[in-house]
Amino acid sequence: MMSSRRRDVIEFLLNNLVWLLLVAVLVVFSLTVPNYFQIGIFANIIEQSTYVGVIAIGLAICIIAGNMDLSVESVAALTAMVVGILFCSRGVGLGYSFSPEWLVVPISLAIALGVGAVIGALNGWLVVGLKMNAFIATLASYIWVRGLVVALSGGRSAQDLAPSLRVIGIQTVLNIPLTAWVAIACFAGFSFVMAKTPFGRHVTMIGGNPVATFRAGIKVDRLVVITFVLAGAIAGLAGWLLAIRSSGATANLGTGMLFNAFAAVVIGGVSLKGGIGRLPGVYAGVLLLSSIHTAINLMGLPAHYTQMILGGLVLAAVLLDTVKLSIRQRLA
Amino acid sequence: MSDLILQLDTIIKNFGAIEALRGISFAVKRGEVVALLGDNGAGKSTLVKIISGGLQPTSGRVMFDGAERHFASPAEAKAAGIETVYQDLSLCTNVDVVANFFMGREIVKRIFGIPILQERAMQAVVETAMANAGTRIPSMRTNVEHLSGGQRQAIELNRFVHWGGKLVLLDEPFAALGVEQTRRGLEMIKRIAGQGIGVVIITHIMAQAFQVADRIVVIRQGQVAGNIERAKTSPDEVVRMITGEGFAQPVPAAGMAGT
Repeated sequence: MMSSRRRDVIEFLLNNLVWLLLVAVLVVFSLTVPNYFQIGIFANIIEQSTYVGVIAIGLAICIIAGNMDLSVESVAALTAMVVGILFCSRGVGLGYSFSPEWLVVPISLAIALGVGAVIGALNGWLVVGLKMNAFIATLASYIWVRGLVVALSGGRSAQDLAPSLRVIGIQTVLNIPLTAWVAIACFAGFSFVMAKTPFGRHVTMIGGNPVATFRAGIKVDRLVVITFVLAGAIAGLAGWLLAIRSSGATANLGTGMLFNAFAAVVIGGVSLKGGIGRLPGVYAGVLLLSSIHTAINLMGLPAHYTQMILGGLVLAAVLLDTVKLSIRQRLA
Repeated sequence: MSDLILQLDTIIKNFGAIEALRGISFAVKRGEVVALLGDNGAGKSTLVKIISGGLQPTSGRVMFDGAERHFASPAEAKAAGIETVYQDLSLCTNVDVVANFFMGREIVKRIFGIPILQERAMQAVVETAMANAGTRIPSMRTNVEHLSGGQRQAIELNRFVHWGGKLVLLDEPFAALGVEQTRRGLEMIKRIAGQGIGVVIITHIMAQAFQVADRIVVIRQGQVAGNIERAKTSPDEVVRMITGEGFAQPVPAAGMAGT
């Protein structure tokens, strides 16, 4: 029998494997890739991780609850476009403004979160109310919401976002833009909610065994709908940040983010079967992807190598999961 | 307080023209282990569902804890203190023992209105409950998926006892367990009964029924074919009740027992 101290250490290492991997990758790149070891590069990695990272939070919560939300990327694009149309002054922008000018910040944020939450609630209703398969229901949303973005904008773009919003994308604290701090704060907040509150505990248990949680008197249907609303609202936040970074929105803004977010979620140790995964790991997964991306850029390799490495990483993550499981079984 | 925890009075259940139960009456005392035996299709499952609120009887009375009750759902029966323990269905194997024990009843402390899980307090409660029940699990922080079938059952039963259960229905509880685990499971059932909880165990295995039960109730074709103290009967006699071969008839000695 193994001592409990040693068991705890091994458990800790297994739970944080992706962080160790991230550190290892950063060390290797710093030693081998010229110009990699710079504050600016690291700040850039964190900034790059903002949008995929925020989207990955909602996606991960949905997957941990035993579901799936493929619509997050399109929802982010939709909210970016809505913010762009309302508060940009050129292109399709209508250029609404308020009399203390800063009011645009809370109002645009509330609109973005609201739009995301509405789509999320619709997804939740399709899955819980109509008992549709989450994969199919949200795949449909992925398609029609993107269509709605194109329809709303007529395929044109919105430019010149209200200046008080753009400040958030330009202003930096400790070399890191405010937008990235928003992502970090989201990870910290939702990691806490998932690990330390009954909500997170119940969502995790629903992902493990919905029948048992239902029998224990937990309101399974209500919680599942909430995870979809959260995923939508968080995607709305990502869209808001995207609009700020690009000072507007285009109809194809953010395409491809879904699969990056998916890769990050899987690499971060979230099981697609549900019930397993931690949000800090997901953030490490996003940072890992950005680190590799940055290294490839610095080495001047063609961009498609990123995709090949990304695919390989996802496979490696799934293999790693199997190894972790067998180690855990030996621990018990 | 009556010493009967459950009393069934001429329970009849019809599914259309089919009479599944044709007037079942028996009682379970507090702290008594009753083995419910019967062939496939005798009506055991229907009866268990009626007791646990999953089905409503066509007629007849269910008296529980001194009052007539009509449970409209398993949740109502559960709230009153009746629970069916299944092999696996009621545990989340992806979380640890503590999380399963407190499923839906977590101890929280509100900080700025946000409920925060109190892991240490919960772990202490689980450790005490498990120790009192004589169940040994290496770590309360182990995920249930790494535990054996017997340990899982122990978690479920201890959880049930801890949250004020009064009557537990065990449907084929040892179907998937090994010899040693079954022995421990039977011991645990006796200990639970020792705390004044009524236990109804449904099983096919005669040896188990005789090891653990205080009384044996046999259901045959929707009726009680036998209701007898364990000490006053034999496996041979019970088998005859189950199959319905003439009660008083002497049977050839060989080959009937140990089904």
